Amino acid sequence: MTTTLERRDAPDLSGAFPTVAYKVREWAQRNPTAVAMREKDFGVWQEISWEEFWDRVLTAAHGLLALGVDVGDVVSIHSEDRPEWVILDMATVAVRGITTGMYPTNPSPEVQYMVNDSGAAVHLAEDQEQVDKVLDPGPDAFPDVKKILYVEPRGIRSYDDPRLLYWNDFLELGRRHREQNSGAVEERMAAATGDDVMTLVYTSGTTGPPKGAMLTNANAEFCMEKIINAKGRTEDDRLPSPSDQVLTYLPLCHVAERIFSTWTMCSNGVILNFAESIETVQTNLREVQPTLFFAVPRIWEKIHATILIKLEDATFFKRLVSGFGLKMASIIGKDRAANGGDFTWRSRLAYWVANPIFFRALKERIGLRHCRWAGSGAAPIAPEVLEFFMGLGIPVYELYGMTENSAVATLNFAHRVKLGTVGEPYPGIGLRIDEETGEIQTKHPGNFKGYWNKPEATAETFTDDGWLKTGDVGVWVEGTHVKIVDRIKHIIITSGGKNISPSEIENSLKTSPYVKEAMVIGDRRKYLTALIGIEYDTVGNWALREGIPYTTYRDLSEKPEVIELIQKVVDQTNEKFARVEQIKKFRLLPKELDHEDGELTATQKLKRKAMEDMFHDLVESMY
Amino acid sequence: MRGRPNLFTDYESEMALFPTTTKRVAVALLLIFALLVPLGAIPGLSFLQESSWLVLINRALVFAIAALGLNLLTGVAGQVSLGHSFFMAVGAYTAVLLGGAPGKTVWGLELPIWIWLPAAGIAAAIIGIIVAPTAVRVRGLYLAFVTLGLVFIGLHLWRNFGKVAGGPTTGRPWPPLEFALWKGDPIISFANDGPWFGVQLTSDAKTYFFLLVAVILFTLVAKNLMRTRIGRAWAAIRDRDIAAEIMGVNEVRGKTQAFAISSFYAGIAGALFAVILGRLIPETWDLLLAVEFIAIILIGGAGTIAGTLLGTFFVVLIPRIVEDITFFFADQVANQGPLAWLGDLFIRKSPDDILGFVSTGAAGPGLSIFQLNVALFGVLIIVFLIAEPLGLYGIWIRVRNYWKGWPFTY
Repeated sequence: MTTTLERRDAPDLSGAFPTVAYKVREWAQRNPTAVAMREKDFGVWQEISWEEFWDRVLTAAHGLLALGVDVGDVVSIHSEDRPEWVILDMATVAVRGITTGMYPTNPSPEVQYMVNDSGAAVHLAEDQEQVDKVLDPGPDAFPDVKKILYVEPRGIRSYDDPRLLYWNDFLELGRRHREQNSGAVEERMAAATGDDVMTLVYTSGTTGPPKGAMLTNANAEFCMEKIINAKGRTEDDRLPSPSDQVLTYLPLCHVAERIFSTWTMCSNGVILNFAESIETVQTNLREVQPTLFFAVPRIWEKIHATILIKLEDATFFKRLVSGFGLKMASIIGKDRAANGGDFTWRSRLAYWVANPIFFRALKERIGLRHCRWAGSGAAPIAPEVLEFFMGLGIPVYELYGMTENSAVATLNFAHRVKLGTVGEPYPGIGLRIDEETGEIQTKHPGNFKGYWNKPEATAETFTDDGWLKTGDVGVWVEGTHVKIVDRIKHIIITSGGKNISPSEIENSLKTSPYVKEAMVIGDRRKYLTALIGIEYDTVGNWALREGIPYTTYRDLSEKPEVIELIQKVVDQTNEKFARVEQIKKFRLLPKELDHEDGELTATQKLKRKAMEDMFHDLVESMY
Repeated sequence: MRGRPNLFTDYESEMALFPTTTKRVAVALLLIFALLVPLGAIPGLSFLQESSWLVLINRALVFAIAALGLNLLTGVAGQVSLGHSFFMAVGAYTAVLLGGAPGKTVWGLELPIWIWLPAAGIAAAIIGIIVAPTAVRVRGLYLAFVTLGLVFIGLHLWRNFGKVAGGPTTGRPWPPLEFALWKGDPIISFANDGPWFGVQLTSDAKTYFFLLVAVILFTLVAKNLMRTRIGRAWAAIRDRDIAAEIMGVNEVRGKTQAFAISSFYAGIAGALFAVILGRLIPETWDLLLAVEFIAIILIGGAGTIAGTLLGTFFVVLIPRIVEDITFFFADQVANQGPLAWLGDLFIRKSPDDILGFVSTGAAGPGLSIFQLNVALFGVLIIVFLIAEPLGLYGIWIRVRNYWKGWPFTY
């Protein structure tokens, strides 16, 4: 035990690298009683202050020291979003360890791969389900794991694996260690450097096994400076502050959620509100009414579809008003889209008329009434969907980035929005589009350190002159904005030799409330076809109204009426595209796609290769 | 939280009586309205100040207290009781025994109000506790019959216990509504005309203020009972008593509490009812009175406080309104006013009038106004039970939900 340590409650850390943990500590000193996060428990949003939050982080950090976590050791977290996730994440960073997160939906083999690939010494499994994923493959399946922490004890109490440690016992361990070695964590924090890897973010792995992208403290710092504190991000150009509310609901292992919830919290002190689960997001949104909101296109499409279906189902007078409101929204949306996202006098007038009778209540219902900045990213979105939300007066902006460059690439700044593009590069960063391949490349302090234990893969990701290859094809629009064409490897070259970007067509299909998934096929083929998955809820609802009886998803998608319905959607999409880009035939998927069945990645992206194999017969029947 | 009405950070704010500013303002406005009624200060409604209306409103306020009690027992705890008039009678006769003037044929101790009013409630509550165990043995319709029996036992008692109830046809006078420390001159009297703080008030207006305060108090108590442990236990027993017991709710205790508290309300209301009327005969406490309370909570909305209050005013004031309307049309018909054609449809003018079925004369041909009212209530109860089981409150809920869901329907 070190005896030379200064035994003070708050050791001086000035001069240390401002890691995320360091920032939490600063907030706790500056605003100890202010609310840091809320978690809904027993029907009430329980508040955790900055002081309590830091206290728990410090205790957990001591717990990690007590478990022997050394500098550069990996701690893996397999849990839904909850305060413990963030606490363990911050504690790990505080002791200069590396956090890696996993999607709650990751099946056992994927967990095994990621945990072993990262060599995690401590693994947090939220509940019995996640603990089983670690214990079921046998005692030797996870050779590096020394302790398995669990938060929900239900069902685990009778387990006798010696590696299991209940979260509260873990904190107790930390408390004892803290009493005896106060200042030990601060010592580690003081030694932190910008080059320390703070987190491994595993790529979703649409092709091949996932790779762990190493992000350093300096990467995170750069990301916070460029994205979170970007000047001109919101309409009123106010930076995020403790008066802002954020709903944490997307998996925290994804870099986007990390940036827009925990990192925004650390750098600007916004309040995190943890959604109970993905099923309750709609309710939680309505309760929390976040001021800053980030969602992936799938969520925006879902909200869009829900609004349209629910309005259609409303009673006569309400339908009358909403019909008028939607007309106004489309006028406003078009005006704003053509005007850099700003209102014109015409759209302001329309907004002024429709807001009190329609928009206000509608936004309250979907939980975005107080929203002052909303973002869409992580996948391409159809401009129609963004235009719809702009029409409702929700300031939604598309942005672009990827894990490997700490998500720092482009953003649609307020007043300079161009729909259909992902915006302008952040000021002062290096971003170029390769003239030969059209690939977007970046070079800035946000570029990652490399893939964990994969030097060859890392080398392949960088050009010879040190630019990061994003793998996305883009074009400049008017010299300022970037438009993404598609992933390089997704581009379809028809047998006629025409280059086609499938995602644009797919997103256009997905703007229909009836379409959930769409995959355009046509590589080395004569014409384009598509596999389409219907949205069970909305098509089911439609069938109910039309009086079409059905039993299951499969039954519903085989109904000739439903095929006819989707045919209309396809026809509408075809009108927007050139002849070669039109879908000649399509088939409806007989099942809902699922992560566990290997059709989707954890982030709900299509695994195209796997899909083509799995639905081979369906695809061949169209040619 | 401000701007986020659905974000509750603790149970206190979630269970708050007046969680939103809108609600607070609405309640404040309602209170101001209530205070202005007897002063005749409300434009368009100054006629409410008239004695005939104030007496009726006072009666509604007293009934509201009794109805709140029955609502707790039947609406919240689910124990059907047809014996409410019996518990009211217990309260009334306790009051007169303690507070009434002794006479040659009757007993009376002439104690002040602060003794006889609480005692009226407590005596009824004790009887309620004695009756409660039967509710554990019998349920539903059978319990209704047991409590119905109470009414007839009571009627028999009151008729034969002249020392307490007075003569079977004459009754006896009740003490006036006045506050004294002990026997002697009252400190505050609600029973005579005179100025209060420089404002000339009639005895009816003073009584109104007294009753208004009482109703507010009893409403708050009832509301608080409903949102605390006792009320939740009652609701659990109502929804399924066996399931409630398995969850750890003590059924015997819950039902006893419900009977005790409900009877307390009834006792207080019975005493006040007798006091504001001044003199009552035993027949007042009959089955019809008990049914009237059932009607109040069914029409208002069983299990809700606001519904009970709404229902009380509806049931008590509707006969008067029907009467006024009937007389208005009778007048139109008689003087050939602009609405005479409408009156022709139902006012009976002569014995050979085919359409008319309502007659303004008490013993005239066709239905009298009293009969019309009774018939109307029968129809209303049937309609409400079938079309709107949650009563007037249910209608309000539907209106509210329509706007709450805007612009969606679900």
